[in-house]
Amino acid sequence: MNTEDTAWNELGAHAASRLSPGFADRVLLEARASSSPLLVAHFAMCAATAGLCLAAVALYRSGTSAADEARNLAGWSEIAAQTQELDQGL
Amino acid sequence: MQSNDTRMDESSTTTLGDQVRRAQAGDEAAMRQLIVSYQNRVAGFVYAITGRSDSVEDLAQVIFVKMVRALPRLNAPEQFESWLFRLARNTCIDHLRRQKLRRIFTPFAPEHENVPEPDGAVDSEELDALRFALAQLRPKDRALLALVQEGRSHAEIAETLRTSVAAVKARLHRAREHLRQHYTTDEH
Repeated sequence: MNTEDTAWNELGAHAASRLSPGFADRVLLEARASSSPLLVAHFAMCAATAGLCLAAVALYRSGTSAADEARNLAGWSEIAAQTQELDQGL
Repeated sequence: MQSNDTRMDESSTTTLGDQVRRAQAGDEAAMRQLIVSYQNRVAGFVYAITGRSDSVEDLAQVIFVKMVRALPRLNAPEQFESWLFRLARNTCIDHLRRQKLRRIFTPFAPEHENVPEPDGAVDSEELDALRFALAQLRPKDRALLALVQEGRSHAEIAETLRTSVAAVKARLHRAREHLRQHYTTDEH
C-alpha cells in the first residue's frame, strides 16, 4: 500500500470519527420529523390562513366598491336633477 | 478510504437488495442497518469532496435523511450503493455551490476565508498532504476521485455524471495527474 492509499484510508477514518454516537437514530428521527403529519397540518394551517386573508380582502373590496358605486350614482342623480332644473329655468 | 470488510462485494448484492427492499417496505431496523453500514463511507466521501471535517456530520445527516425519504422510489434495490453515492455527490456539490454563492453576497474578510481545520483534524503528514492536494482540484474532480475510491465502476460514474465512459476515463486521468502534482508529503 503506497502513501496515497494510506492517506485515503486515514481520510476515511478521520471523517468517520467526526460522526457522533447515535448518528443513525438522529437521522431516522429527523427524517420522521420532517415528513410527519404535524408538518402536513402546519402547511394546511398556513394555506387556510392565506385563504381566509384573501377572502377577507375580497369581501372588504366588494363592500367598499358597492358603497363607492352607490355614492357615485347619488352624485350623478343630483347633477342630473340640477341640469334638469336649469333646463326648465331657461 | 474504506476497509475491505465494509465494502459490499457481488456475493452480498442479493443480501443488500433484500435489506433495501425491507427498508422500502417500512422496516425501520433495516433502514437503520443501512445507515449504520454506510455512514462511515459516506462521511469519508463527504470529507474528500468538501475538505472540511467540521461539516462532515451535518452533510452526512442531510444525505441520509434524503436517502430515507427517497428510498421508497428507488426502482432497482440492487443499485442502492451506486444510487446512494450519486445522492451524496450531488448533495456535496450543491452544498459547495450554495457556499460559493453565499460568499458572493456576504464577502468574508481575508482572515475568515481559509479557516484552519479544528484541532486534531489533521493528524498525519499523509492526510495533510492529501487534503492539500484535493483542495487544489475542482470540486467535481474531487467527487470523481472520491467515487473511484468508493469502488464505483467507470460505467456507474458515467451514468452518475450523464456522460460517456471515455469522458470519465479522460477526466479521471487528468484529475489523478493533477492530484499527483500537488500530493507531496515533504513540501508542507
